[in-house]
Amino acid sequence: MAEQNPEQPAGNAAAQPSEPAEARPARREPAVQIAEEVLNERGERTATHLERIASDAAIESGGRDEMPWVRVEPDRLPALARRCRDDAVLKADMLHCLLAVDYVDHIELDYVLFGVGSGHRLLLKTSVPADNPVAPTLTHLWEAAAWYEREAHDLFGVTFEGNDDLEPLLLFEGFEGHPGLKSFPLHEYDEW
Amino acid sequence: MDARGTETVDMMLNMGPQHPATHGVFRMVLSIDGERVASVRPHIGYLHRGSEKLSENESYGQVVTLFDRLDYVSNLNNELAFVLAAERLMGIEVPERAQYIRVLLCELNRVASHLLFIGTYALDVGAMTPVMYTFRERERIENLFEHVTGARMMHNYFRIGGVKEDLPDDFAARVRALVGELHKGVEETDRLLTFNEVYLARTRGIGVIDARTAISCGLTGPCLRGSGIAYDARKDDPYEVYDRLDFDVPIGEFGDCWDRYWVRVRECYESLRIVEQALEQMPEGETMAPGRRIVRPPKGEAYVHCENPRGDIGVFLVSDGSDKPYRVKVRPPSFCNLVGLEPMLKDAYVSDAVAILGSLDIVLGEVDR
Repeated sequence: MAEQNPEQPAGNAAAQPSEPAEARPARREPAVQIAEEVLNERGERTATHLERIASDAAIESGGRDEMPWVRVEPDRLPALARRCRDDAVLKADMLHCLLAVDYVDHIELDYVLFGVGSGHRLLLKTSVPADNPVAPTLTHLWEAAAWYEREAHDLFGVTFEGNDDLEPLLLFEGFEGHPGLKSFPLHEYDEW
Repeated sequence: MDARGTETVDMMLNMGPQHPATHGVFRMVLSIDGERVASVRPHIGYLHRGSEKLSENESYGQVVTLFDRLDYVSNLNNELAFVLAAERLMGIEVPERAQYIRVLLCELNRVASHLLFIGTYALDVGAMTPVMYTFRERERIENLFEHVTGARMMHNYFRIGGVKEDLPDDFAARVRALVGELHKGVEETDRLLTFNEVYLARTRGIGVIDARTAISCGLTGPCLRGSGIAYDARKDDPYEVYDRLDFDVPIGEFGDCWDRYWVRVRECYESLRIVEQALEQMPEGETMAPGRRIVRPPKGEAYVHCENPRGDIGVFLVSDGSDKPYRVKVRPPSFCNLVGLEPMLKDAYVSDAVAILGSLDIVLGEVDR
């Protein structure tokens, strides 16, 4: 490979970006397959309870294995999350994970909720526009949300309304940009 | 301001990022009122390498190497989380032998990780000897790993669909000998440390966190079980072959530093039990599911969580159907356990701050990613 690409030093091949797509010889890309989403028995049980709670707010729903999900508007999220947490059956008392996914035109926020004692696992999804990523905070419901939200603010620039402590957590103070976004360059550095 | 016109201000005490008791580059700013901690502000991110972002630019097979470097004292457990996520997305049936190999190695890795904790935690609270014993035992496990995977720490041994290669011929005999030695080794440290008067005085009733707060803060693993919640992903959401293995989930009573320590010690014994059973039940056969070398999961997303030595590691994998993941999110257990530091340190003595931080058993490679 090194002889064919004189510009690319052989020793650092892995750290360099792969060749730009135009330069590559035309290759037959395999057709993209869509994963099947099927709930198992346990997931179905959770889904029925979740539907009961979220039926008025849900835009879309689905699920895989034991984890059903519902998509809601950002402003409906805190109320729904509280209902999930306080519901007698679901008892989703742990915010297991919060993550942002950059889909270029919008940023999706996924809240993974676990019922530690009840055994229910569920996922709340919401989308915020990429040019104005503002979502309501959940710090009043779970203490764990504080750091997740700071992280999402660091890496994706999502602002959480009601959370006034969004100081950089993983990045240093004064860092420019949001490295989690697809638009943030990954390999644009000089070799030295 | 009080009646005499004097004013009391809290004193700020900076600890870290270069401090031997923070086990890495972790900094916390303690606000002190006399001998008590009024509040704490942890600062992390010194080790942020952008692993999640880097994963988006690597093929699925290469991402495993990045996961090795998250929690660098329980590498195999991290690898497992990622390969499980990819396998779930692709619907791969992993051969039974490979599943047993994974479980066996992960449990040995758990013992190695807990041994590191026991030794360094004893150092934190002032006991010099145990670390010598635990590192001797840990060395035996590393040697076995080297024999199996070729590396002592960054193994890159698990593959999507199985493991890299079958076990070496003398593996069973070596593991049997190792389990005996480890059992003796853990017991030795256990006898030396657990009910030691000074050790109890340093850890009992210190850094108490109740179950409700622990859950709200997202604590998992021994930190949550120390508070009396028997939550263990191996039992609650069995993956691999854990549902066929017989083991107990040790829990603590008060949620103090000693409980978190004691849970880990007993987990070592449970892990050794699992290792013995896994070795007994391990069938012959393939170690890799048939499939293409270039992994292309279908478009979709999957969330997998499994029990790391430090807690629940979660992997949220989003695929767009190409040979590189669209988004990989790691839910690092140490990161979430650190959220519990603030309630634990509230009103604690300054001299206990190190003991409390140590009992969380954080690994900064994972906290910062």
